[in-house]
Amino acid sequence: MAQTRREFLKKTAALSAASYVGMNLPFDRIGLARAEEGITWHPGSCRLCGTGCRVELGVKDGRPVGLRGIAESRTNFGYLCMKGMHFWKCMRHPDRLKKPLYRAKKSEPFKEISWDEALDIAAGRFADAVKAHGHDSVAYYGSGQALTEETYLFQKVMRGGLQTNNVEGNPRLCMASAVGGYLTSFGADEPIGGYADLEKAHCFFIIGSNTAEAHPVLFRRIMRRKLDNPDVKVINADPRFSQTSRIADKHLQFKPGTDLALLNGMAHVIIEEKLYDEKFFSTYATFRQGKEKKEVDFNAYKTFVAEYTPDKVAAICGGNITADDIREVARWFATSKGTVSLWTMGINQRKRGVWANNLIHNLHILTGQLLKPGADSLSLTGQPNACGGVREGGGLCHILPGHRLVKKEKLRNQVEDAWGIPRGRIPPKPGYHTMAMFSAVNAGKIKAIWINCTSPAQSLPNCNLYNKGLAREDVFIVCSDIFPTRTTEYANLVLPTAFHFEKTGVYGCTERRSQLTRKAIDPPGEAKPEVWIVREWAARLAKKLGDPVIEQCIKPFVGKEEGYALPKAIWDEYSQKVTKGRDNDLRGATYRVLEQLPDGVQWPALDEKYALTGGTVKKFVKGMDPLATIHAKNDLPYQFYGPAHPDRKLWIWLRPQANPEEMPDAEYPFYLSTGRIIDHWHTMSMTGRIPELLRANPYAYVEINPKDAKKLGIKAGDMVEIRSRRGVNILPAKVYVGPIEGMVFVYWHDQEASRMINKVTKDAFDPGSKEPEFKICAVQIKRVSGPKPLMPFLVS
Amino acid sequence: MPIGGVVISALPREVEQVAEACGAMAGVEIHGLDDKGNIVAVLDTRTTDEMEELMRSIGRRPGVLQVGLTYLNSEDEDAMMARGEYVPQVLGRRKGEREPR
Repeated sequence: MAQTRREFLKKTAALSAASYVGMNLPFDRIGLARAEEGITWHPGSCRLCGTGCRVELGVKDGRPVGLRGIAESRTNFGYLCMKGMHFWKCMRHPDRLKKPLYRAKKSEPFKEISWDEALDIAAGRFADAVKAHGHDSVAYYGSGQALTEETYLFQKVMRGGLQTNNVEGNPRLCMASAVGGYLTSFGADEPIGGYADLEKAHCFFIIGSNTAEAHPVLFRRIMRRKLDNPDVKVINADPRFSQTSRIADKHLQFKPGTDLALLNGMAHVIIEEKLYDEKFFSTYATFRQGKEKKEVDFNAYKTFVAEYTPDKVAAICGGNITADDIREVARWFATSKGTVSLWTMGINQRKRGVWANNLIHNLHILTGQLLKPGADSLSLTGQPNACGGVREGGGLCHILPGHRLVKKEKLRNQVEDAWGIPRGRIPPKPGYHTMAMFSAVNAGKIKAIWINCTSPAQSLPNCNLYNKGLAREDVFIVCSDIFPTRTTEYANLVLPTAFHFEKTGVYGCTERRSQLTRKAIDPPGEAKPEVWIVREWAARLAKKLGDPVIEQCIKPFVGKEEGYALPKAIWDEYSQKVTKGRDNDLRGATYRVLEQLPDGVQWPALDEKYALTGGTVKKFVKGMDPLATIHAKNDLPYQFYGPAHPDRKLWIWLRPQANPEEMPDAEYPFYLSTGRIIDHWHTMSMTGRIPELLRANPYAYVEINPKDAKKLGIKAGDMVEIRSRRGVNILPAKVYVGPIEGMVFVYWHDQEASRMINKVTKDAFDPGSKEPEFKICAVQIKRVSGPKPLMPFLVS
Repeated sequence: MPIGGVVISALPREVEQVAEACGAMAGVEIHGLDDKGNIVAVLDTRTTDEMEELMRSIGRRPGVLQVGLTYLNSEDEDAMMARGEYVPQVLGRRKGEREPR
């Protein structure tokens, strides 16, 4: 590169960084345009995590050469994390899947085949299964990383075409409890506010989230808020001292599984010290109890939380927290000018994850820390499109697109009418939820399953058990993905898909925000966008089953060009026909509007004019949310209209402490918890292929509290066996004042067979949300040797 | 030879010392700082691996809270890939290969 161009690029880099912090640099800008010569910048969303950071991909000669953040975006204001800055390097990686691969038997090696052959085989095997074993013998297991257009079309073909609700996705493993929490507390899924509250908050309550590593860009905003306003309080409640805990004014290190007691303890203090906002909750809330959702009064709630005295809760939480700690954080939470709670898997991946969500919402409703600037109860999303594609687009077995319950005939009919298919075509019974689906695979009840853009062979809890089912020769498995994974090892048919920026579509992030990414480069080899794959597969299915209704499902999309026109037609159908009149009304968020805005649209957005303002920053606030005005019943400032609460109120729940399914005992004396590290994402199929990220953290390790390590004779780097009743791992030890005494912590990304921690985790799940309790199980720990040289491992 | 634009967030009271210390590191050019603790810097390294390591080294310095990358250009690396002079390495052990002993 010529020196002058290099100098220009350096100035561009400096100006880019300076613009994010409002700093003026004394640069002569003449000639800077030359740095951009030959590079076109394409706006889109980051591919990893659920924050929804907006980026621009630099493309030169048809190849990706750089990335920069979009400063005007209200999600990230231009900042990106390490993972986000590098994800585009997956595009040209030599491991990319480029041709369809097939094997009749799983014991055979794969052979390359044509797309025609591949689609014929996929259609033939699904059609054969339906004919021989019925509609519910086939299934789709998708992903919170698929574009909304992809999830929507897959589920349309499965429900309307193949007449099964066996439509699931990996968000069941991460945010189903958040869905359950929002529905049961607020009557409507997804948060009331969003990131805009972070800069207005005076207190942050971060529980069960290592925001610093899992959502670094949001953590930066929180950190910035605290640095600029030293009076802002940060409370971090977690059994492990994490990177997030470093900025906390108070770290509450509770024993795993005692979170419900802690939250009730905070409510106790709020009641006892009269820190609540009685006017708010008496106007807008009711108190509920039990399966039958029985309405009770404030006195019943007071009596219920009375037993959670700070002293008693401190003892339940394991002794690292004092009663005064609980009192202090409850006061901070209740009396700040605006409190935002943030959580992720530490709360959701619990046997009583929905209850834990309810108890966080309780604190907000009790204190009125909702609906006003700087106050929100905000569940952070782990995947870029778990909200948009799966929660809103109909990607779970019990919900249809537009937040509609499968079991309600009227709602099924609305979707059938929108699709132009006969009423009664969508079956009334919800399909298998994720754990039931893979149990059905184990039992041989599912004969053909399509797994798209996810790797359950590694990501399911107690995966040894479910991998037995995936290995069955009588279960035909299609995997569509960009790289080989632990799951493609069980596939019969592997279909190469286009990656982000190699196709067009919408992602919906944590804060009800839909954002478009347009195709900027061609996919490698014969890789194809999923929307093309589904359409072509469905056309063959229609012929093989002789079913014109399947043909009807794809009729609006036939002949459309796959890079833009096809996903646009799918989005148009979904947004205009299917979200109309629903709480996630997206009619204003057309491609035309999404292309004009740097950071997309927050729903509800009923028309384009409104959507062009950016949409709804706060739900339920009259003057801010058009649906609150439409549904208004009185002159009060807030109007709730969530479909799950006929009384149009918020619900404060009486939920008791509930222990995890598996507690440590004499035989398995330690708690095991798992989580994410900053450099890696999920099952590492992408981040493991980026040398900068892999080198930083080449393999998983186990964090052990120094006191436990001393008792067990374990030193840093020693190889340690972790054994549960289900499986075993051998990992190097990191002796670290992180996990609470009596608990070990393991990162879950590693693909190496002896370090895949989901062999050890437990598959108990929340009876409401069906989300598994990944976060807690009981294990034995023992040193097996001194340090050993290890190498990272990736499935090839 | 990638070029990165970064904002280093430092403790406001230590921003000047942090900027001075970072500016003395090879591959770091400091372009500005403010009293909120923001330091604008450009990183210029031989490889993206080195850039990663440099960012980590900055992140570990006393007084540094976070290093945020806002711009990355690696067109030299891409041109080398296009010319076949550089193939991204596939790190790690593959199926059938054994752990080192």
